[in-house]
Amino acid sequence: MQTTNPRQRLLTLLSIPVFLFLVVPTAIVVPVALNDSRYITFPPEGISFAAVAGFFADKAWTSALTASLQSAAIAVVIGVILGATAAIGLHGRKFPGQQAVVGLILAPMIVPTVVLALAFYQFFISLGVLGSILPIGLAHAVIATPYVYLTTRASLAGLNPALVNSAQSLGAGWLSVFRHVYLPVILPGLVSGALFAFSVSIDETVMSLFMQSPSATTLPVKMFTDIQFNLTPKIAVSSALLVTVATLGLLFQVMFVLKRRSTARMLPLAVSAPN
Amino acid sequence: MSNATLQRARPEGRAPAPEQEKPRRRRTTWWLLLAPILAFDVVLFLSPLGKLVGSSFTGNAYQRVLEDPLVVRSLINTLSISLASTIVTVVLGYVIALVLWRSGTVTRVILFAVVLLPFWTGILVKNFAWAVLLQDNGIVNSFLQTVGLTDAPIELLHNRLAVIIGMVHCLLPYAVFPIFSSLTSIDDRLALAARSLGAKEASIFRRITLPLSTPGISAAGLLVFIISTGFFITPVVMGGPGDMMIANQIDYYARQLTDFSGAAALAVILTVLVSILVAIYQRVLKAGGQHADN
Repeated sequence: MQTTNPRQRLLTLLSIPVFLFLVVPTAIVVPVALNDSRYITFPPEGISFAAVAGFFADKAWTSALTASLQSAAIAVVIGVILGATAAIGLHGRKFPGQQAVVGLILAPMIVPTVVLALAFYQFFISLGVLGSILPIGLAHAVIATPYVYLTTRASLAGLNPALVNSAQSLGAGWLSVFRHVYLPVILPGLVSGALFAFSVSIDETVMSLFMQSPSATTLPVKMFTDIQFNLTPKIAVSSALLVTVATLGLLFQVMFVLKRRSTARMLPLAVSAPN
Repeated sequence: MSNATLQRARPEGRAPAPEQEKPRRRRTTWWLLLAPILAFDVVLFLSPLGKLVGSSFTGNAYQRVLEDPLVVRSLINTLSISLASTIVTVVLGYVIALVLWRSGTVTRVILFAVVLLPFWTGILVKNFAWAVLLQDNGIVNSFLQTVGLTDAPIELLHNRLAVIIGMVHCLLPYAVFPIFSSLTSIDDRLALAARSLGAKEASIFRRITLPLSTPGISAAGLLVFIISTGFFITPVVMGGPGDMMIANQIDYYARQLTDFSGAAALAVILTVLVSILVAIYQRVLKAGGQHADN
């Protein structure tokens, strides 16, 4: 408000290192990946795509990338279907036990990832299905679904349930109610939920680590294994890929917020553990 | 817009359904919509967790793990590292929230994006970046040497300070938002009135802004502490052998010792701790909400 008073200037001055602390680590990732050196250094000595080429020529890394994309696809598809149906099903309803149902839908966000990782590890071992990407994708779907549910529920908040009733009483069938009443309203929430689900899956490390196998090693797991020995240019390239995804997700979120003109929409959704 | 969609939704030449049939049809459909997520969560969320809890009660697991000095040490590490990270995160988060609160719309959106970027970035990417910055020939060490604070590179990685730095960087967005939302619910007229009565900016902050934002501070502190207790990657990548937390101990029991009941017992202990904190957090949020309404 009053930008001229000295306290305000002091606050701005104080906050600059904090903002740098937030941004610098993410900002250096792409330059480090494009560094023209066999070693990991910052600031870079020159620009080169050698590390990027090396990454895509290394089968261990490309198959990790494929595994990550496959698990993310599973998580997004399941998350969108389950999250959207749940949000529509609960829209404008009041029934006994509703809180318990919503609690169950959101619960995977609260349980620490390492606990879920152990539970899934035990569960899938006992079923004898570890060793493919499917269990990892299903586990990611469990933690991604609440995000889609929340974003869809948020976009449904402005829809009057009476509208659905009137559409039905005018003879609209379920499919046309979905297509013409729900879909236009939930589409932004659905897209942003899908982005969240993709981002949750592509960055998830602990569950994928527990359930890894030679044929199902995701990008973060490969990074985690390698990083404990050495900082290599290939880890840098992998990080740069993930930062690009993160930036796209963020840009979409900012655009979404600007359109809605409310900073409240930027609030992170709920408790969610990055581990 | 809703009128237009409604218009399109009307199929031509079909009569409205009879009044009495409607409620029954709606009820069936509504349950069908909830069935997929409930079935999915029961099979793939509740049953694995139930199995985990069940296996924690075999082989005297609780007594066994709690007598393990490594477990006791990791529990103490978890509490002290989480507490330190929480304090630093809330203080830095308060500074950011204040700046966001005081800035105009355009600046606010840009700064929000800055706060949200680490929120979208995966933990390994962030820890990798910190490892690059803090390594022996990294930029922080060269800076310290140029300034003349040291002659030789200092070991900045693989210690507890590095773990806390890495964790605070991940946790900051979670602290900023609760504090920011409690700041925005403060009535601007309070500060105006105080100023017109001659109050200095320092006492306005101390006697109005800070007390009225305490619900946000406690919500932020709890949320950050809850998330801190589950950290797994950062202690491994940025810490030393003495900085392992409870999550690392669960991993050690499960994958190194293949002692599933011991790992399960530790997981149950962590989940119970987190659940208690989440219950308190929700109470704080509710109390904060009432406060803002009054």
